[in-house]
Amino acid sequence: MRSETSVTRIIGGTIRASKALSALLLAAIAGSVLFALLPPLVLEQIVDALAERRQVTVSLAAGYFLLVAASGLLDAAKESLITVFGQKVTHRVRSAMSAKLLRLPAAYYIEKEPGVTASRFVNDVNTVDSLFASGVISMAADVCRLFSILLVIFTRSTGLGLLLLAAAPLLFWMTRVFQKRMLAAQMESRMAVGRTNQQIPETLKNIRTIRVFHREDYMQRRYGDAIEQGYRAQERSNFYDAVYSPIVVTVSALLVGIVMAASAQGGAARSFFGMSAGTAAALIAYVGSFFDPLESIGMEIQNIQSAVAGVRRINEFLREPEREAGAKAPGSVPAGVPAVQLSGVSFSYGKGEREILRDFDLTVQEGESVLLAGRTGAGKSTLVKLILGLYEPEAGQVRVFGTPPAGIPEAEKRRWFGYVEQQFHPVPGTVGDQVSLRDPQVSEEQIRKALVTVGLWDTVQDLPEGINTPCGEGLFSQGQLQLLSIARAIVLEPKLLLLDEITANLDSKTEAQVLAALQAASLHRTVLSISHRLYEENGGRKVVIGGEAPL
Amino acid sequence: MRKAEKEDTSRISYYFRRETGLLLVVTVTGILYNIGMVAGPWFEGQLVQYLCDILGGRRAPAAMLRLAICYVLTILFVQFMRYIKRLYVRKFANNISKRMKMTLYRNLLYGKQAEHEGAGAMMTKLIADADACVEGMRKFTTEVFDTGVVMVAYLAMLLSYDWRLTLLAMLFPPVAYFLAERLKGIVTRNAAASKESGGRLNAATLERITNGLTYRVYGQEAAQNAAYEAHLTDYEKKAVMANVWENAMQPVYQVISMLGTVMIIWFGGKNVLGTGWTVWNVAAFSSFFSCYKKLAVKSSKAAKLFNAVQKARVSWGRIQPYLASVPEEAEQPLLPPAPLAVCGLSFAYPGQKPLFTDVTFQAEPGQIVGVTGEVACGKSTLGRLFTGELPYQGRIALGNAVFPSGGGHWGNQVGYLGHQPELFSGTVEENICLGKPGDIAPVLRAVCMDREVAELPDGPRTRIGSGGVRLSGGQQARIALARTLYHKRPVMVLDDPFSAVDMETEAQIYENLRQWGRDSVILLISHRLALFPKLDQVLWMEHGTVRVSTHDGLMEREERYRMLYESQRKGAEANAE
Repeated sequence: MRSETSVTRIIGGTIRASKALSALLLAAIAGSVLFALLPPLVLEQIVDALAERRQVTVSLAAGYFLLVAASGLLDAAKESLITVFGQKVTHRVRSAMSAKLLRLPAAYYIEKEPGVTASRFVNDVNTVDSLFASGVISMAADVCRLFSILLVIFTRSTGLGLLLLAAAPLLFWMTRVFQKRMLAAQMESRMAVGRTNQQIPETLKNIRTIRVFHREDYMQRRYGDAIEQGYRAQERSNFYDAVYSPIVVTVSALLVGIVMAASAQGGAARSFFGMSAGTAAALIAYVGSFFDPLESIGMEIQNIQSAVAGVRRINEFLREPEREAGAKAPGSVPAGVPAVQLSGVSFSYGKGEREILRDFDLTVQEGESVLLAGRTGAGKSTLVKLILGLYEPEAGQVRVFGTPPAGIPEAEKRRWFGYVEQQFHPVPGTVGDQVSLRDPQVSEEQIRKALVTVGLWDTVQDLPEGINTPCGEGLFSQGQLQLLSIARAIVLEPKLLLLDEITANLDSKTEAQVLAALQAASLHRTVLSISHRLYEENGGRKVVIGGEAPL
Repeated sequence: MRKAEKEDTSRISYYFRRETGLLLVVTVTGILYNIGMVAGPWFEGQLVQYLCDILGGRRAPAAMLRLAICYVLTILFVQFMRYIKRLYVRKFANNISKRMKMTLYRNLLYGKQAEHEGAGAMMTKLIADADACVEGMRKFTTEVFDTGVVMVAYLAMLLSYDWRLTLLAMLFPPVAYFLAERLKGIVTRNAAASKESGGRLNAATLERITNGLTYRVYGQEAAQNAAYEAHLTDYEKKAVMANVWENAMQPVYQVISMLGTVMIIWFGGKNVLGTGWTVWNVAAFSSFFSCYKKLAVKSSKAAKLFNAVQKARVSWGRIQPYLASVPEEAEQPLLPPAPLAVCGLSFAYPGQKPLFTDVTFQAEPGQIVGVTGEVACGKSTLGRLFTGELPYQGRIALGNAVFPSGGGHWGNQVGYLGHQPELFSGTVEENICLGKPGDIAPVLRAVCMDREVAELPDGPRTRIGSGGVRLSGGQQARIALARTLYHKRPVMVLDDPFSAVDMETEAQIYENLRQWGRDSVILLISHRLALFPKLDQVLWMEHGTVRVSTHDGLMEREERYRMLYESQRKGAEANAE
């Protein structure tokens, strides 16, 4: 399996996979650059014609309009195609990331906050999107536009071309300085806004103290100061924002003024700057649009910078170490082998961590009911996770029906073993989905049977839409959720049932219900459990890990 | 009374009026700038004309230099006006935003809404609405000039050149505007669909990762990835649709508006050649042409003005009720030390049976009165009655001053310390002083925390984090107690101040409290009775009745009190061993 992948490769892959789209995009960019150049050239012809007192031809008037229209449409096509392409790339990036989820070791899920990982998927990939929408591609287009305008100007007036060539770097430098300062001011202002907003919940929480000591004035002052701080930062940003475009307009007016004055002079100046009336009209139009791409390029640099950080984080995620794929296993549960067999198993969570299991042996025959006992931290839950294949032992072997757990085919897993988790993890969807996990191989009849077994069927039937009722917060009590969890484990009639410790705080009546459900669920099954209560009721074999448990 | 209170803060005109000065600057610069906007096209036309004339030998080259200088200076002036206008519009928006938020906050501080549940979420929404409202006011103020005034100026210029051609060319922008209105529905629908799909995708992402291990154990990972892929495909489709609609519309409007240029080139050209409606030179043609282009762009933005105002109006409707001016209470001078007299005090939560009835006791300044009872006997509620936030029956008086019942303020004659330390994110010192300057060393000593505070990284200037998270629970409780002592009052109610400190510190703080409260009456509510033998009086609450006595008296007559005290003492002794 090729697992070495990165955002750059994905982009390359997208280009290869959609050659037509890429070509179209290139054509649209080239077209929009080219057609933006043409209308002023037609205008030049028109004005020259009028200056020479010739009638403007219909084709010139219509041509001008058509070129403007074509330029606008090509621009729109360019923007749309950039979006299409960018969305294709982000789709592929997210697909690659979700494929990566399959290959991540269990430890990743336990160590990393889900919200942080989700933010790689959401926020960081969004920066990749903006890398296209308002980053590299549009920057390339803007650079082309800038140079093509410059080129046309040079063909008309070398002097103006040189003037622009001299002014452009200066203005660009100014643009970047302004943009950087604005960004800094905006960040500061945003932080100040965060502080201001934070004061509201604080005020509500402490309202009694504020009122008892009559400190409303003080709180108002604090709030006002926080707002004020934000505004001072904002005002700086406002200054740059307000002054930028007046400067640009004034500079272009200055350039036009210089060129016109010089063109009007005789001698060398005229031949250097010189132009006809039509050219003058065209050049004024060009100068006006020369500085737009300059400003855009500045913004695009900023977007690319922030996207680079996002891309780096995505690549880090894609390069996370992966779990090993298991060997192929038989399609159905083999008979005549021990349900669980651990031989010489040693395990610790990572290098330098405490060794939790050392040279541990355990065999559970089919049909047996075994309790794992031991102090907290002795490794009971770890053992269950090894059997589930969530972790690999450092030494020794783990076999479930003679097969390494990682090798059990995904779709078959629920027929091999069922696992009742410590806590119930709800999934979005209906009550039935909680049991089936939206697994298409689970029939409605099987859901019903599982719910009957755990004693939840009547409760579910009383719901407005039965098992199709959307499962929301507060629909079930803690104990009932625990029952759902058991139903989820047994719905596909697994040969082996693994029971983790149930951590929910249950009152005695509910606990009796859960116990009855567990008893019903373990009937005619091999059971490996950490639940003392079930052992007390059902008996079986007791295996102690890490020394005798106290009491 | 403050000046702000005299005016009705719930009227939008109030906010505009308060910024009259800024608005005046905005108006003057806005009009100058936008009228000056026509100078650009006019000068550009003249420049072309002059060049034409000079090349034809009809004018001296020096004239061009003068014109160019005039042009640059005019643009400079106009752009300077623009800069001032932009800056002041933003200042204006900032000021209004601050004023609105301060009014909302003042309402929170003094009004009733703080007691309602969900007040925090509501305030967040209100602040977002205030932002939207200010944004609308800013856009309105901007666009009145940048769209309104400038369009009038452009139109006037066009009409003065050739009114018939102007009318002809001006047929097209309204068509574009009309089309935009008709198609706006599609654009917004697609944008909303894309946003919704994005929301679903984000939720699915988080869920896929959160339940990752569950899916792995049950062999559902591949199925989940397939479902996720469906979300991705849906989002890609919707996002592209939304974007294409939005991108596609802009040039279509422009193209329609630009149809007018064909008219101008054709009929304007005739004007220059002298065969049209009026007689033009090249300058007029150029000016008219570029002026029309600018007007076409502007008119496509006119819709924005209405949208901004519309949005702001909705937001304003939501925040207006919360912008009423609330009366602020002035701080009253503290009453001199006097006996506290509580007479026939009863209290019931609405719709419930009385929590306690007929509490009567008296206490002299310097006395400490203990209040105790079983869990949920109402001792904390009894304490809270002294904050004036709950209505009760009976009478509470300090000397000759009777405190009104029913949620009224008592001129802050009572200091109160509840279960929660109620600390603010800020420094230790800020938390104690709450803006009242003074020396905090004595109160820190009184709560046995002077050394601990000195050892903090920045001493009393150490920031303690949101809610005091950087301090231990015991430290938080003592800072809160120090604050209560710092703001000394004739009556002080301390609800369980020692729950998070050890016995020895408790005894030490108690001694300091005796010293500190020589001219105050202190009500000490506690479930820990170790100190109670030293107290002047003890109130024992049980089943809605209150017995007022001393520790010795209660030990003799109240079985439950004695049992409680004995069991706590035994526990303490066992711990000491």
